[in-house]
Amino acid sequence: MRPPADAIGTLALIVGVIASVIFIGVEAALVYAIWRYRASRQFAGEAATFERNRRLEIAWTAAPALILAVVFVLTLGTMAEINGAGVTPAMRIAATGHQWWWEFGYGGTKTANELHIPVATPIDLDLTSADVIHSFWVPELGPKMDMLPGTVNHLRLFARRAGSYDGQCAEFCGIEHAWMRIRVVVQSQAEFDSWLAAQNLPVASPGADGERVFLSNICVNCHTIRGTAAAGTAGPDLTHVASRATIGAGVLPNDVARMRAWLADPQRYKPGSLMPSVPLSDADLDALAAYLGALK
Amino acid sequence: MSRAVSLERSPRIVEDRVLLGVVIFIASESVFFLAIVLAYVAYRDAGLATAKANLDVGRTAIFSIALFASSGTMAVAGRTRSRAWLAATMILGAIFLAGQGSEYARLLSEGIGPGSALFGTTFFTLTGLHGVHVLAGLVALAALFTAHLGRARAVGAVAWDAVSLYWHFVDAVWVVVFSVVYIGTLL
Amino acid sequence: MTAIPLWVRRPAAERVGWLRTVDHKEIGVLYIGMGVAFFALGGLEALLLRAQLATPEATLVDPETFNQAFTVHGVTMILLAVVPLLVGFANYMVPLMIGAPDVAFPRLNALSFWLSLVGGIVLYFSFLAGGAPDTGWFSYAPLSERAFAPGTGVDYYILGLAVNGAGTIIGAINLAVTILLMRCPGMAISRVPLFVWMTLVTSVLILGAYPALTAALVMLLVDRQLGGHFFDPAGGGQAVLWQHLFWFFGHPEVYIMVLPAMGMISEVIPVFSRKPIFGYGFVAGSSVAIAFLSFGVWAHHMFAVGLGDTENAIFGATSMLIAIPTGVKVFNWIATMVGGRLRMTTAMLFAVGFIAMFVIGGLSGVSLAVVPIDLAVTDSYYVVAHLHYVLFGGTMLGIFAGAYYWFPKMTGRLLSERLGRWHFWLTFAGFNLTFLPQHWLGAAGMPRRVFTYAASTGWGPLNFISTIGAAILAVAMVVFFVNLFRSLRSGEIAGDDPWDAFTLEWSTTSPPPPENFASIPAVTGRRPLWDRKHPEARDKR
Ligand code: HEA
Ligand code: HEA
Ligand code: HEC
Ligand code: CUA
Ligand SMILES: [Cu+2]
Repeated sequence: MRPPADAIGTLALIVGVIASVIFIGVEAALVYAIWRYRASRQFAGEAATFERNRRLEIAWTAAPALILAVVFVLTLGTMAEINGAGVTPAMRIAATGHQWWWEFGYGGTKTANELHIPVATPIDLDLTSADVIHSFWVPELGPKMDMLPGTVNHLRLFARRAGSYDGQCAEFCGIEHAWMRIRVVVQSQAEFDSWLAAQNLPVASPGADGERVFLSNICVNCHTIRGTAAAGTAGPDLTHVASRATIGAGVLPNDVARMRAWLADPQRYKPGSLMPSVPLSDADLDALAAYLGALK
Repeated sequence: MSRAVSLERSPRIVEDRVLLGVVIFIASESVFFLAIVLAYVAYRDAGLATAKANLDVGRTAIFSIALFASSGTMAVAGRTRSRAWLAATMILGAIFLAGQGSEYARLLSEGIGPGSALFGTTFFTLTGLHGVHVLAGLVALAALFTAHLGRARAVGAVAWDAVSLYWHFVDAVWVVVFSVVYIGTLL
Repeated sequence: MTAIPLWVRRPAAERVGWLRTVDHKEIGVLYIGMGVAFFALGGLEALLLRAQLATPEATLVDPETFNQAFTVHGVTMILLAVVPLLVGFANYMVPLMIGAPDVAFPRLNALSFWLSLVGGIVLYFSFLAGGAPDTGWFSYAPLSERAFAPGTGVDYYILGLAVNGAGTIIGAINLAVTILLMRCPGMAISRVPLFVWMTLVTSVLILGAYPALTAALVMLLVDRQLGGHFFDPAGGGQAVLWQHLFWFFGHPEVYIMVLPAMGMISEVIPVFSRKPIFGYGFVAGSSVAIAFLSFGVWAHHMFAVGLGDTENAIFGATSMLIAIPTGVKVFNWIATMVGGRLRMTTAMLFAVGFIAMFVIGGLSGVSLAVVPIDLAVTDSYYVVAHLHYVLFGGTMLGIFAGAYYWFPKMTGRLLSERLGRWHFWLTFAGFNLTFLPQHWLGAAGMPRRVFTYAASTGWGPLNFISTIGAAILAVAMVVFFVNLFRSLRSGEIAGDDPWDAFTLEWSTTSPPPPENFASIPAVTGRRPLWDRKHPEARDKR
């Protein structure tokens, strides 16, 4: 199948050309009328007095109607193509919007803010929201679709080339709407499979004192780390947090130093975020950052 | 504005500013109620069980008849300019409101309120907004009544027609609300 | 002060004062004053938005302030600036244009103004009362529900819009009855000036659309204050219901904002072309078609909600249809200029500017009606560009045309043409510089309503240009304000009919006396004043 983005691109090009022609036509007529009939340029004589012409009226009612009929037909074609009804998806991924981060579910395995999909494979996202309305939008991958609480919408994704694509929540969803960014990583089927296999594994670093700090603080109320007692769901699943490129849905690049800074005061980088600043000793912060930074 | 004496033939609606104004106002009020009714219908199924269990159709029907009857008495009052019929109209309207009040009291005591569940929300909003309009109608009737009490002839035909137009409208809205909310529970 | 009285030619002794006046002309002036003041406020809010967005990851304002700023900017410009400006001109001009001594209900008229103003004040009071609404001008649920907007901002939004709306509805009833019942002898409905026609159609739109908003606001209030569940998915309600109700109001609202402006340029263009309007019947009729269609397109604001392809296709089609009657207007305006003797006064410049810019906004609108394209750019800066091309490039330019055209009638003095030209060209340049780049920003993926954006996105340069444009617009507006204040005091004396115009308002003094006309005029054609000035060449119809 053709990537929805391409289908829309073609349609936009056609509509764009039609619009440009109309635009140039109207503006040209306007400018000509101004130049040709400006009083300053007039030799003596009064203005014309004609004030109606039924034929003209019919013509410039019918012409736009015809143009629009064509546009509408093209529209129907593209709509049918991009909703992907014809092609059965190779995989369904659950995407849930939260204020202000994304949760992606591959079967039981949950991850956040970074969506991985195999290249050249039709994927369906099952979109919903945990709180207010969000909208999933990755421009290069095609149309956007709203995520509404209490309903599930579907969006067909199909990426022709591997690589990483940036996107962002498009429906205003509150104070940090601007920092609800998406990163879509498109990889070869093999790479994708090994990524997913890794994501499926629980953590295996028991006893790390970063883990102790994590488990002995309120972190556990909101975060899950599979393989530990932490099973909170108010925040992103952190089982493989270090495997993601960014922290806080795009506010910070993800490395141990930035991780420590984020943990020390998330409100500084993402004011209004639902992740509170938890008072921790420097030692604890170091341990915690090191621990989370190791959760590849 | 025609400052006519009572019993003088009323002007045609499309010729009189006030009557035309009232009609246009009623038209836009209808859009308002339409939106609320549609919301009720949209959520009807969600609240149907509660509605069936808690709405006393028969009892409300009686009070509704009072309101419907008040349209009749208003018509007579309008034609005869009779204070008595006007009073009758007001009493019937008041009876209807009393009935609505008692029903509210019962539902609230059973823990059904605007915040309890979808049925409560839509029911109290729809019927409540109608009740407010009945109240406004009663105020208008009272104003007409007192004006009539005074120098009887000072009340123009237009005033009579305007008030009764509005009263009939409030009545008509209830026909819809009663069918949707109450009759609706029977089918 | 002035040698001649402003606004109404009334002996100082008989002045009643702004608070107690029921004269349609003075109430019109009050409306316009309200509109100008709120336009300045909304504009300053816009400048704040542009300043913050000029560079990536800027920290000029915090997110909260930004979200309040664009919310209040939108509500202010639409409901507190543009609508009062249009209603204000209608209030002042309609009775004059149909040869009536006043509106049908002068006291109600005062009431509508004061309700509209109080609504606006209530909204702005929220700033002092712990925070303005910050949920966007269409305040989508459930974001606007208690659970996610615990502050009082949204409650002030509800209250302010409801009160303001009540005023607007009463005003519409008043104007409709006035136009239907108070036309002077001979002023058949097929002869009323097009501004009056469009005002009538607009009133009908208001009466059909505003009540739906009021209903939605009541429901939201029930949810927030009585714990209701209309728009609360957790309680079984549906977030989409709010969107249906709001846009059933919201889309007609946009034609409420453009039709009167179209009426204004339909007065200006013929006068400065020295020709009768071309295709009067079609220009008037197309307004009715637009009004009719505009109640059937609301879901084009909801294409990405997931209504389904069939619904989307239907609403896409109805939306496209509106292009046809609108096009008819555009073509008839141009045909009116053809064969004329064009006097390029400032008023005419703005009228022509309206056509030139509105077409761009209209075409981008049609592209948005193409569902797949909308799904790509909805909620992006492409939409922001569209709405400003129609609202500023259309409505505001039309209002400026009307202002330069009618100011002399209202004050007895002309606005300065020299400053006027500066005003026009600065506006023209600043406007396009501000909003043209936003089309590309939207297509490139910049969502609307973001308080900042990552540097890595590469949206910086175009945003910077857009902000420069806004600064130029600000200068243009300052020029306009200067022009207003200076001309009020020391503008050139206009006389009764400075433009050699066609319609009745120019047949009385500038400004008109309280009763408008010494004696109620009788008319025999669409251009009564022309007929008087050229008895030999009277209009046939
Ligand atoms: C004055 C206000 C105004 C006007 C007149 C219009 C006019 C139109 N608008 Fe626009 N619109 C808004 C104000 C306005 N709009 C606002 C404020 C929003 C955003 C709300 C928000 O989200 O905040 C919006 C958003 C908006 C959307 C939703 C975008 C989104 O959120 O995803 C859509 C989608 O269909 C749309 C379509 C149209 C169409 C088809 C027209 C048509 O009426 C245009 C018709 C005119 C022309 C086409 C030009 C002249 C015609 C010709 C020269 C004839 C030849 C033309 C052809 C054959 C095409 N508008
Ligand atoms: C008629 C309606 C109207 C008008 C005229 C304008 C005018 C302007 N708008 Fe607005 N705008 C909207 C309606 C309008 N807007 C709406 C509906 C939205 C959507 C809101 C939402 O998303 O909820 C919006 C959103 C919007 C955004 C997007 C915000 C976001 O999504 O984050 C931006 C950003 O650039 C913007 C900019 C501007 C600018 C630069 C102007 C300029 O044209 C302003 C020009 C005016 C001035 C510069 C003021 C001049 C005054 C002075 C200089 C002070 C003088 C003082 C005295 C004399 C007392 N507008
Ligand atoms: C009240 C709930 C809550 C608590 C308590 C909490 N968090 Fe969070 N956390 C969140 C939320 C919500 C986010 C998402 C923030 C955003 O992106 O807007 C988050 C994000 C994060 C992230 C970034 C994840 C990513 O992929 O971007 C890390 C790491 C993190 N939290 C670690 C912690 C640690 C360690 C603690 C304890 C010291 C903690 N959190 C306590 C709610 C919480
Ligand atoms: Cu989520 Cu905007
Ligand atoms: Cu619209």
